[in-house]
Amino acid sequence: MLRATDIARTYGDENVLEQLSVTVDAGEVVAVIGPSGVGKTTLLRTLALFDEPEAGTVEFDGTDAWAVDDDERLGLRRRIGMVFQAASLFDASVARNVEYGLRIRRSWRDRVRSELHSLVRSNGTADAVRESLDVVGMADEMAAHAGSLSGGEAQRVSFARALAYDPDVLLLDEPTSDLDPRNTAVIEDAIAEARERGIGVVVATHDMHQAERVADRVAVLLADSITEVAPTDVIFQNPSDDRTKQFISGELVY
Amino acid sequence: MPLEHLPDLLLAIFDLPFRDGYVSSIIFVSLYVSVVAVTLSTLFSIPVAIAMGFSEFPGKQFAKSVVNTGMGFPSVAVGLLVLFAVSNQGPLGPLELVFTKEAMIMSQFVLATPPITAISLAAITGVNQNVRDTARVLGGTRLDVALVVLKEARYGIATAILAGFGRAISEVGSVLIVGGNITGADGISKTRTLTTAIQLEARQGQYGTAMVLGGILVALVLLVNAIVVRFGDVGVQR
Repeated sequence: MLRATDIARTYGDENVLEQLSVTVDAGEVVAVIGPSGVGKTTLLRTLALFDEPEAGTVEFDGTDAWAVDDDERLGLRRRIGMVFQAASLFDASVARNVEYGLRIRRSWRDRVRSELHSLVRSNGTADAVRESLDVVGMADEMAAHAGSLSGGEAQRVSFARALAYDPDVLLLDEPTSDLDPRNTAVIEDAIAEARERGIGVVVATHDMHQAERVADRVAVLLADSITEVAPTDVIFQNPSDDRTKQFISGELVY
Repeated sequence: MPLEHLPDLLLAIFDLPFRDGYVSSIIFVSLYVSVVAVTLSTLFSIPVAIAMGFSEFPGKQFAKSVVNTGMGFPSVAVGLLVLFAVSNQGPLGPLELVFTKEAMIMSQFVLATPPITAISLAAITGVNQNVRDTARVLGGTRLDVALVVLKEARYGIATAILAGFGRAISEVGSVLIVGGNITGADGISKTRTLTTAIQLEARQGQYGTAMVLGGILVALVLLVNAIVVRFGDVGVQR
């Protein structure tokens, strides 16, 4: 479904990604593991069609996303959801945050009408908002202001916000790196729920145990390229690449 | 003000030595000139702040420095420049704007624009990059991202408008030069504002009345602040 082929990204003179290829299909969870600062975020931003690769292609259902015009690329981008490492909720209620993706997909006429209507009385809550908050156990906090949430709760709302508009692909950038075990478990359950819904998930993490728990396939990103992509059990039990072996065993430290 | 004039102040509150309609007319002129000037300045400043905040161009830092410097423009110098512009020999001479409310609006526009632009720009550029990225990654267009940033920066922008309004309504020097502090034969203000009236009363030794007018001015500024803050709170609850 989403395929990056031989992509390269640089910052200044430094190669961040080089000839890197990765794919994710519907209903599949791919974990990208690697040490901090290796380029996982850059890879996810490229997959999100956020930044154009300097070389290579990013295809969505066979369409080269950077060979089409801005409108068509926006259409592709709107089929992708992404959760950043920091929750970065908007200064609004939980419900308003989660419905954001739905709201901006409506026509301007509907949006203006809805905004005017909300000045007089509540527009109610869309089912998709309630359902996605339910997935992360935050449906009871719909009316709360985003600023009143803990870090873990904010990240759960952030996940629900990306899930609400039913994307085909969900990209998660270290979604649990700052969370306690309870919130981490909620996010991991939500990843499983997304897979059940047929969403392709790419989760970047430096937590190898998490990759083992949630992923169908694992891509190991070391230095600026992927050393190996294989089913999760193969990566952790019988990796073929020497650097992957060293990284999994903890011998290769960056 | 000497303290022995305090009793005069209390008396003045109940017995203002003015003709009917005088006080209300200077309040009206003050509000009219300031509100129109700040409205025009806001309509000009916010788009400029948005354009500067959302784009990179050569000389952007210099442009920001110019705007920031503008916050320190001496009001009498601005008044003098506007007076030259609207005087008979000036470029706007044919419009005959000397000693009119319109000339006062022009000078207050020039004074209010730098603080509104600079503080709005600071508020817009202060919005976390993560917020912009989030709006975009959730499928937002450039316009959607801009709207999110404006919404996140709304307190800063409201503060900018209040700062502009505060500068405009409390200003004396330039409105005195371009407005002339004029009342009609019927005692009703033509270009007299609360500030120029206070200045006149104090100069004539009428400290009590000057203090009452000062109190009205402060109350007006407080009222406008309260209204803006109230709107901000309503926005947060949604």
